[in-house]
Amino acid sequence: MLSRVAESVYWAARYLERVENVARLVRSYNHLIMDIPVGSEPSWSVLVDILEAKDQFYKIFRKETEKNVHSLLMGKEHASCSIPFSINQARENVRITRDVFPEEAWEHINELHLYTIGNRSAATSRRNRLLYLEEIIQTCRAFAGLMQSTASRDNTYGFYKLGQFIERADMTARIVNVGAGDVLDREGEFFAIDPLLWGALLQALSGRSAYRREIGPIVDKDSFIDFVFKSRNFPRSVFFCLNELRRYIGLLPGGDDTVNSVDRIRRRLRRFNSDRKSREGLNLFIDSLQSSLIMLDDDFRSCWFQRSMR
Amino acid sequence: MKLYTPRTNYDDLLTKKGYARRGASRIVRWLRSKSPDVMKRYRDAAELAVKEMGISFTVYSNGSNIDRSWPVDVIPRVISAAEWKRISRGLAQRSRALNKFIHDVYNRRRILAEDVVPPDLVLESPNYQKACFNVVPKFEAWAHICGTDLVRDQRGTFHVLEDNLRVPSGVSYMIENREIAKRTLPELFANQSILPVDDYCSNLFQMLVSLAPGDRRKPCVVVLTPGIFNSAYYEHAYLAQGMGVELVEAGDLFVTDDNEVFMHTVEKEQRVDVIYRRINDDFLDPEVFKKESVLGVPGLMRSWKAGKVALANAPGAGVADDKAIYAFVPAMIRYYLKEEPLLPNVKTYLCRNKPDLDYVLNNITKLVVKPVNESGGYGILVGPHSSASECSRFASLIEADPENYIAQPTLTLSTAPTLIDESIQPRHLDLRPFILKGKKTWVTSGGLTRVALREGSLVVNSSQGGGSKDTWIIEADS
Repeated sequence: MLSRVAESVYWAARYLERVENVARLVRSYNHLIMDIPVGSEPSWSVLVDILEAKDQFYKIFRKETEKNVHSLLMGKEHASCSIPFSINQARENVRITRDVFPEEAWEHINELHLYTIGNRSAATSRRNRLLYLEEIIQTCRAFAGLMQSTASRDNTYGFYKLGQFIERADMTARIVNVGAGDVLDREGEFFAIDPLLWGALLQALSGRSAYRREIGPIVDKDSFIDFVFKSRNFPRSVFFCLNELRRYIGLLPGGDDTVNSVDRIRRRLRRFNSDRKSREGLNLFIDSLQSSLIMLDDDFRSCWFQRSMR
Repeated sequence: MKLYTPRTNYDDLLTKKGYARRGASRIVRWLRSKSPDVMKRYRDAAELAVKEMGISFTVYSNGSNIDRSWPVDVIPRVISAAEWKRISRGLAQRSRALNKFIHDVYNRRRILAEDVVPPDLVLESPNYQKACFNVVPKFEAWAHICGTDLVRDQRGTFHVLEDNLRVPSGVSYMIENREIAKRTLPELFANQSILPVDDYCSNLFQMLVSLAPGDRRKPCVVVLTPGIFNSAYYEHAYLAQGMGVELVEAGDLFVTDDNEVFMHTVEKEQRVDVIYRRINDDFLDPEVFKKESVLGVPGLMRSWKAGKVALANAPGAGVADDKAIYAFVPAMIRYYLKEEPLLPNVKTYLCRNKPDLDYVLNNITKLVVKPVNESGGYGILVGPHSSASECSRFASLIEADPENYIAQPTLTLSTAPTLIDESIQPRHLDLRPFILKGKKTWVTSGGLTRVALREGSLVVNSSQGGGSKDTWIIEADS
């Protein structure tokens, strides 16, 4: 398999996973806000923070209103944090690697692209917004299902899975980081709505019922963080993602060094204990987790994608 | 449907009296029996097939790519197998002579020494690549893939309009057109034998494999594309997939110090033996040609000259497809093969010769004038369709630089019935068959038929409103 093709497959998977995650995040945040009494709801800017998109936001808008935040994330295809941007990137990557994907893959992603073009204005009303997000999430899932049920288990599938799980691990870490930061900021002040916020974050990860079965019905900070970081069974936990990465790296040619990098991150995650962490401690840990994911991405590149003379 | 009676020019399906030509009787009968509504349904079915199969060509505009659906007319064009046999022999003959010519001008230069072709015409041509001097490619073959444009004149005789020896495109559409026809008109395929076209990819692959240097077993063949922005990218991907080989871009390849070509894969570097390149000479290797080219692979020419990799088509093959050299192809056939040309050229006036120049200047309103080294229909004057001031502007251009121009009589291209809105009308056609030259010479059954969809127009390019038709070589009339 050509390195360039492998890299494109990897990025197509990353962008698609990102699309689904961002859509899911925005949707659950909308649900949350509807649950909270007027006046005490947290700011819409949390969404922009999670995606590290403050700079992009203020290039286009002045105030962090509900409408502006959504039109950035759903309507601005040139902003790298937006859903249409990621869809375009995924599409361009699939377009040049069409022949290694299952036949319907290109059609699927093309439809997704056409849908976002046709529904740029959906961001403004809450009802249309939720329909839009639902459609995006469904199509992403259909794509994942298509891969699951029709892609042959070759290197293409391996790189697709690497992209999917590294992106998912990163998104989970982001959601915990800024989301948890925001909640911790207000501890005491918003005591009554606290469980709601944790619940919403859990929902953003589609983890409510998994959490209930594994931990119990009450969502609090420490068990939430433990769960989304360290659960072995929940497919969106960071630990689960790392295990999957390890497995798929093992199926690809010559990835021994990258397996070691994944193992280092796993060891650190296992040692991590959320109740002994202060807020700063937690933020620091997540930051270093995110940078080790970036380093892992670098490892992938030098192991498989690099095209200068070795 | 009502058919027309072709009066002024040759028609591929109908005789002057409006009857079906040999081989075309079934199609003509079928056409006559259909109502406009039914024909519309056939057209919709064909358009749907194109969309479903994702057949597109790329137009680059406003900084982004637009994929346009490939335009196909549902009514096939028919050529009888007996006629095609003669034509394909003529095409193979031409390809043999052109390859001998290219090899000769880069090696012994006999034909120039004997002044059969004027030496300055060749050696001063921008398509003559000095870097290719003294190279001996396997089988002495240079133009491995040739797309030759043919047109019928008023009496129906096929003439060669030009030979495309650099990176001719269109073959994937020839194959796809057949696929569309099979999906839309299955009933017409029953009870008549139409020669198949889908053996192209396997023949191309065999030819490319035969070019591999030395006796390398299971040689690695790749298709080199300039990338997604190229208008023929669809075809590059199609051919790579059809042969089951990698589609590579320049960045995927590198050349080592001992002149081997490798590609970057996720396992380890893999040696490449044969490159079907779809990049023009100028951009192929920044070490030798345009230095700023990012589409090319530094060192590729070194490797090719050292015999470590085969390039198809060979660099420099374009020296034989300029419009002035074209006029000498019949002479080449006589010189190298000691045979008479089986396919006629279009009469060509070389303005570099004084008598020709005088004739052209006196008859410019009747002629088509073409610059020697441009391709793709740029800078052409069609005398009968141009204003007097346009003609006199061209006359002064020719006088200023006669070497750079040739002229040909304006041909009355043949037509074929074409579905236009709700009726069937005559539209002008050309034909591009493809000739493969490796160890052996092989010619496609038929080729890509392009049709000018505007009434009276002679422009068949898909980017300028041209369409296409499936081309049927029919074994016997039933």
